[in-house]
Amino acid sequence: MAETLLALHDVRAGYGDAVVLDNVTLEVPAHGSLAVLGRNGVGKSTLLLTIMGHTSLSRGAIVWRGENISRLASHLRPRRGLGWVAQEREIFSSLSVEENLTVAARPGRWNLKAVFELFPRLAERRQSKGNHLSGGEQQMLAMARSLMINPSLLLLDEPLEGLAPIIVEQLTGAIRRMAIEEGTAIILVEHHADIALTLTENAIVLERGTIVYRSGSRELLDNHALLDRFIGLKLAESADTPPAFSGQPG
Amino acid sequence: MIGPLVGVLFDGFAYGMLLFLLSVGLSVTLGMMNFVNLAHCSFAMLGGYVTVSLMNDLGWPFFATLPLAFLAAAAVSVVLERVLYRRLYRASDLDQCLLTIGIVFVSVASAAYIYGTVQQPVQMPDYLQGSFVVMGVNIAVYRLFLVGAALAITLILVAGLEYTRFGAQVRAAVDNQRMARGLGINVGGVFAVTFALGSGLAGLGGSLAIAIVGLDPSFAFTYLIYVLIVVSTGGLGSIGGSFVAAALLGISDVAGKYYVPQLGSFLIYLVMLGMLMWRPAGLFGKR
Repeated sequence: MAETLLALHDVRAGYGDAVVLDNVTLEVPAHGSLAVLGRNGVGKSTLLLTIMGHTSLSRGAIVWRGENISRLASHLRPRRGLGWVAQEREIFSSLSVEENLTVAARPGRWNLKAVFELFPRLAERRQSKGNHLSGGEQQMLAMARSLMINPSLLLLDEPLEGLAPIIVEQLTGAIRRMAIEEGTAIILVEHHADIALTLTENAIVLERGTIVYRSGSRELLDNHALLDRFIGLKLAESADTPPAFSGQPG
Repeated sequence: MIGPLVGVLFDGFAYGMLLFLLSVGLSVTLGMMNFVNLAHCSFAMLGGYVTVSLMNDLGWPFFATLPLAFLAAAAVSVVLERVLYRRLYRASDLDQCLLTIGIVFVSVASAAYIYGTVQQPVQMPDYLQGSFVVMGVNIAVYRLFLVGAALAITLILVAGLEYTRFGAQVRAAVDNQRMARGLGINVGGVFAVTFALGSGLAGLGGSLAIAIVGLDPSFAFTYLIYVLIVVSTGGLGSIGGSFVAAALLGISDVAGKYYVPQLGSFLIYLVMLGMLMWRPAGLFGKR
């Protein structure tokens, strides 16, 4: 049985006195993958921010490889092996692409050569400043930058949001390669539920900060009624029909 | 005709470099960390007193005192940063001003208590005294040394901030603290080191300045206005901007006093006004 990388036990968290997440319990094994679904404002991003230590944790525990990291400083969590791609990308605008990639890099299989192979476009723009990139390029850079710290678990917060279909295709391929070929565990928060469910093994659905459903991703993808009820996703085709993208490695 | 003009330009440039040495640390802390540190010249004054004490009381050679002046100012700043400053990183500019101006008052009172209110005598080594003539221009050795020191510090700082991983981490932390932490950068540590560096540079600048401007407890207030002028006209966070602004302000100040004595010391403020009206964000500023 695979080692449990990350476990959340009865977590209650939020911002100041405002509680956003409550009674959240989940586990992610090594090389595992979890889709986090739900409508807007249910606490999906807050869940990732809580794991990274950027919210107020008022109850419960966050356990990383058996170590309780609930009170661990946020900058020490990436050093334990947690990677995070923020929803707003949050590229360092005054740094070049290459500096963004190397500023916090840690030794491992993901290095400049490897991320440039994954995202050739970044190699072409390596001297450009972060604020001179397009939205798609910024998203590639945000993912590549997190890979450069060689995480065991990568938290991806809506990496496909607002991007052109061709960029979505490239990024989906990259996530598939990270998760399936390279074995990096992922937690994927994504509005494109159909894509998220094909990239992950398991899924949870959040409502008002609480997990209201959990199952295998395939099982949820096949259950159109539940998808419609929980996230308003109406899939017209048969569940056997692959979603409308081809996940080729970028 | 040309000789005196070049001489005035050189003296003005050297005075500008003195201002640059005093202000470059503030360019780092104010410009990069967005912290309004009005106590910057207190660290410069501390460096000056360290040099005076080591030279006059212990007989240390001038150059041997410079690293100690840097380290003393840096060490005191680390203590203040950990105890006081860090609590106000996210506070308003007014809160930061009130705290740091209070530290200036404390430093002035402390210096007066320990050293008295008189100017401190300082005797530069023989090889830094006197002057020589080149093509009719009188060059003071110590001023030439100041120019060289300023150029060397500029090169080291620019290289350190632009071409090292630590420099990139400083810029990343300034850009986005949360994301920097999310990648494993110790933002608090980076800021503490940056603050110590800026304050250490103030201490070094103070040591180098006292031979020309003298040293008494009012130093922390007297030169505060000049370093603020340099940093604001150069552009926040721009070391190159501070360098150019300091040179222009130094030259205009010395040339003004020489050629337009009626305006006297007021000319530097007119130049500042003109430069800020032309470029409100400073010569190389972006915000």
